[in-house]
Parts: sequence; C-alpha cells; structure tokens
Amino acid sequence: MKHAYNEVNLHNLAVIKESKRWSSQGLIEEDQLKNIEQEYPCSFYHPNIIIRILLFIAALFALSGATGFFALLFGNSGEKVLPLACLIYGVISFALLDRILINQHRHYKSGVAECILYHACGFAIVGLSWMADFNTYVILITCLLVFSYAAFRYLDLLTTMAAIGSFAGLLFYTCYEAGGIFQQVIPFVFIVCFGSVYAITRKFKVRDHLQFWSLNMMIVETISLLLVYAAGNYLVVRELSINLMNLELVEGQDIPFAFLFYALTIIVPFALLYVGIKHKDVLALRVSLIAIAFTVFTFKYYYGFGHPEITLTVAGALLFGIALLLFNYLKTMRGGFTRENHLAEKWANLNLQAFVISQTLGGNQSQSNNQIETGGGGKFGGGGSTDSF
Amino acid sequence: MTKNTPRELFEKGLIREDQFNKIDVIISGKVVSVFYELQALLYLGVLLFTTGVGILIYMNIGSLGHLISISALILLTIGCFYYAFKNGAAYSNDTVKPVTPYFDYVVLLGALVFVSVAGYLQFQFGILNENLELVTLITSVFFFYIAYRFDHLGVLSLAITALASFWSVSISPQKWYSGTFFETANLHIVAIIFGVLVATIALVLEMRRIKMHFTFTYLNFCSLLFFAGAITGLFIGAWWFVYLLLIYGGCVFAYLMAMKRKSFLFLLYAFICAYIGTTYLLEKTILRDAIEIWFLYSIFSCGGFIYFIIKFKNYFKQK
Repeated sequence: MKHAYNEVNLHNLAVIKESKRWSSQGLIEEDQLKNIEQEYPCSFYHPNIIIRILLFIAALFALSGATGFFALLFGNSGEKVLPLACLIYGVISFALLDRILINQHRHYKSGVAECILYHACGFAIVGLSWMADFNTYVILITCLLVFSYAAFRYLDLLTTMAAIGSFAGLLFYTCYEAGGIFQQVIPFVFIVCFGSVYAITRKFKVRDHLQFWSLNMMIVETISLLLVYAAGNYLVVRELSINLMNLELVEGQDIPFAFLFYALTIIVPFALLYVGIKHKDVLALRVSLIAIAFTVFTFKYYYGFGHPEITLTVAGALLFGIALLLFNYLKTMRGGFTRENHLAEKWANLNLQAFVISQTLGGNQSQSNNQIETGGGGKFGGGGSTDSF
Repeated sequence: MTKNTPRELFEKGLIREDQFNKIDVIISGKVVSVFYELQALLYLGVLLFTTGVGILIYMNIGSLGHLISISALILLTIGCFYYAFKNGAAYSNDTVKPVTPYFDYVVLLGALVFVSVAGYLQFQFGILNENLELVTLITSVFFFYIAYRFDHLGVLSLAITALASFWSVSISPQKWYSGTFFETANLHIVAIIFGVLVATIALVLEMRRIKMHFTFTYLNFCSLLFFAGAITGLFIGAWWFVYLLLIYGGCVFAYLMAMKRKSFLFLLYAFICAYIGTTYLLEKTILRDAIEIWFLYSIFSCGGFIYFIIKFKNYFKQK
C-alpha cells in the first residue's frame, strides 16, 4: 500500500512550492521561478489556503445535507442495520474520494478532499465502534487504524495528529485498566514508547523514498517529544494521579518517585535545548522552548502565584532581553545559526501577525479606563479592544 | 522535494551556481535560521511585560517604589523611541524595511508602555475627567501616528481597534462568542457606519498611494465590523430586509476586493455572509418546516458553489 497520489505530480508540486519560497525571499529571480514551473508541471487541483478553507466549509454544508438525507432514509431501520449503514457510508465515501476526486479530478488537499476524508473517517469509526457497542478498546483501536490509514494514504496532517492521539489513548487505557503497578509506571511506559517512536521517525525521515511523508513525520516527532516531556512532568503526573487514579495525598505527602519527576521536569527541556543546538535541530529547539515555559509554570504552580504582576513583568523583561541579546549575538553566523530570515514560513504572514497583535496586546490600555469607570461612574463601553485581558 | 532537489535544479540549469550555493546550505540544514524563534520570544516578552506592567502600575500607588517604577517605565518608553527615531529610516509612503529584526518589537513595546503610562498619569492627575472617551481617541491617534511613522502593521491594527472602541464597538472574535459583541442597542448601526467610513478613507489613501500595504488591514477590520453589524441587524429587527440588502452590497464589494487584490479572505467573508443572508431570506419566505427541502438546499447551494470555484479555478489563483 502506498499513498493515493501521482508521484511525479507530488514531487513537482513540492519543488514548485519550495521555489516560490526561494523567490519570495529573493534567492532566485522571477524568470527562474517561471522556468522551474514549466519544467515541473503539476496537474493537481491544490488551491491556496483561504480557498481551501472556503471549499471545506461549503463541502461540510453539502455533506451534512447528504448525510441528513440518508438519515431520513435509514433512520428507522433499527439498531441492527444502522452501524452497518454507517460503515458502508464511510467506506463509500473513502472510495469516492479515492477513485473520483483524487484519481479523476486530481484533487490534492483541496478542502473538498479533506472534508470528505474526515467525513469518511468519522462514519467508518462510528460504524465499527457501534458494532462493538462502543467498547472503549474497540473505539480506540478503530480510531488508531482508521486515522493511521487516512494519514498514510492521503498524507493528511490532522489525521496524523489524531492517530498519535489515539495511540497515546490506547496505551494509557491499557495500562490504566491493568491496574496496580501498571498504573504507577504509565509515565515510564510513555517515555519509553514515545522516545522510541521519536527515534524511529528520526531515522526514517532522511530516507528519500519516504520524502512524501516528511511533514507527517515531523508532526509525529513533535508530538512524541511533547508527550515524552509531559509524561515526565511533575504537574501532569501529579494531577493525573490525583484525578484519575484516586491518589489521595495528605498534607506533606508527595506522589511516589516525586524527586524523579522533579528531575525530569527540569532535565528534559534542557536536554532538548542541548540536542537542538548541538544537532541544529529546529524541531527539538522549538519543543524545548515550549517545555521550558511549561517547566516554569509547573514550579510557579506549586510554589506560589503570589504577585503575578511581578512575575509577568520580570518574565517579559527577561524574554525580551534574552531575545535581543541573541539577535545581536547572531548578527554574524555562529555555529551554523543565523538571525537572518532565509525562508518565509507559510504561516508567518505580516497581516496575520498584525491581527494577533491587535487581539492580544490591545487590552493594556483598558486597565486605565476600567479604573476610571469605577471612579468616575457613568457607562463607558470603550476601553481597549478587549477588557477580558 | 528532497535534499537533492537544489542540485537537480542546478544541474538542469534552472538556477545559477551562486544561488545553488546559498540555497543548498539552507536545505541541507548546515545553516539554521532562528529568526522566527527569536521573534516569538520578543512577542511573548512584550505580551508578558505589558500585561504585568498594566497591573503593576495601579498597585501601591503613592509609595516610593511605585514612583520609581513609573519613572523607570517613562525612561523605558523614552529609550525605545530614542532608539526608533535614531536608527529608523525616515518616513516614506511605501513599505519600509525594518533596520534590525527586532526594530518592530522595540517600537511596539515603546508604544504600549507609553499608552499605559499616559493612561495612568491621566488617572492620577485627572486631566481629562470631563471627557473620558477622549483617552481612547488620543490613544488611537497616537497609535496611528506610530504606525505611519514607523510603518508598523501591528500598531496600525491596535490603532483601528482603539478607534473602534472610541465608538464603543469592539473588534474581537472573543467577544462574538461570549455574546457581548454589541452591548448597547443600535450599536450594530454604528458598526456598519464605522466600517463603511473607515473603508472609504482607506481606499482614498490607497488611491493617493499612501502606505498601500496598509489597505488590507483596514479593509479586513472594516469587513468584520460591517458584516457583524449587518448580520446582527438582520436577526434582531423588523428591518431585516434592509440589512439583507446591506449584506448583499457588502458581499459584492468584498467579492470585488478579493478579485482585485487576489486576497481571498474577502471571498470567504462574502460567501459566509451571503449564505447566512440568503438562508435567512428563504426561511422567512418560501422554505418553511420541510426538512427534506433544507437538505436539498444545502446540497445544491454548496455543491453549486464548489462547482463554481473549481470550474473557474484560474480566477482564484494567487499572484
């Protein structure tokens, strides 16, 4: 089994996309981009992201209409037929997607294709799980299988995440149900399992014939690293032990192996940071930054949130300062790291950044207005863009 | 796309050797750019710092430490703007490239801290006690000045939201789902008028070739406000037909903008709003109660739309 697309087209599309990034960054010229586009023709229907969203929404409405119709037809046919009907409906959707949309009309992640794919996954999973009366094991296993299939065959990223999520869920549930000592070792099982998943994916990532799955593998790597960190994080372990395993802690008592989890909470992010810098691995670097932030949060959570305003101010000043220092330090390239922006990331659109800034930073002048409101009285609806911040 | 692709392109003569040398070190990962990571740190720094300062400034008022911290903040703003005016390029009607990768964030920090401190001083000394709304207006004018002076899209969007909040409308999706978007009656009319007015100004500025790359941000906020106002009007009043016409008018405008600029976000707005409007119209007039017809309606309307987009796919290509 392999992916559903024409390989030449897939390769050419990737080359064109990459060349566009080079061109937008001024690494190659416009004419060269045109030549490359001619040399690497691609017959896929793969519109830009906004059109994809638009088509996705439209397809969602259309499909709900279709589903509604089938529901009317089969709605009264009873418990025996319905699961089968769902499953058949899901399988037919997969077939339509594969044969007609992808093979005939050459859709590649067109918005419509994704919509039908998720729709097909949903019905296949519901159908199969229903046959087993929604047994948790069966649900988790079908989720894992169906999502992995969708991720593998259609190179889809969202179902890749869902597949990893169901794998983690299955692992957790199995240990949890086994009870006793198995519940206690869940963190270590997670660390070993997802550590191996990470190591294996890293190995496979460099193979040329697996290049089409490179984005999927990147997601697998990221989520595995995050799960490894989360499994060793003191806060996660403690809260999950209390909430799910009914661990009861009296004053002054701590969770089993507390010192180990404290150590992991600190060591893992910095180990990742080290790996990221040493091997010039951007992915590990990014995960390590998130992990460091969460480590700080973990310690603040148990050792007092007193004076949050001071914490915020100091943390903000520190981050800003560190970033400025690093920007200046990397003025000239050091150890292969540079501050220059070589290739624009797809999501790093200036308009988008501006929107994020207006939504998150607009609140800080509202403070003054709120204060005035209580002092001066009178209804004053203004005050920054959001006073929820 | 593999690590060998640049070499392949080079051997086919599609890129030159000097280009290949530059590209190859990036693709092979010999050179790694941490530009976005550092920018993210700067952004988080500004976010945390200004939030913290916003709270801190109103605590322990009158104590010595408080005075020191206010003075420190004033010094910080002066420092930021000193840096910006000294190193920044002169004003230009076109896009200005920031001199350093962190220039934009220094300006942003300076502007935000300035507004916090100014708001505090006004609170403390009560200069504008008579006209409290003026504070937001002045904030907005200040932001507009900074945005144009230093060519800053982020500060521009802050300026637009501040201006909108002067008219008591808020541009924030977070408010839409909490249901407090238009708190006062008839605010949706204000939103519609505001949207139309500001969009007109933006288009006039664009015709005069002043900061043409700002137009998208203006139009984006204006369409959000306009459509949110019009749809609210559609659902609440007896005047729904007027609002329906307004929505259709807005959709035509958004469609034209999308085609002219090849920025399909406006097409997305136009589609969603026209769909809501039309569905509402049908529900009010001919289609009632029959659920099968609604299923047919959604299949054919959306199916038709998808067909239309794909059929004319060449129209919908980005530059």
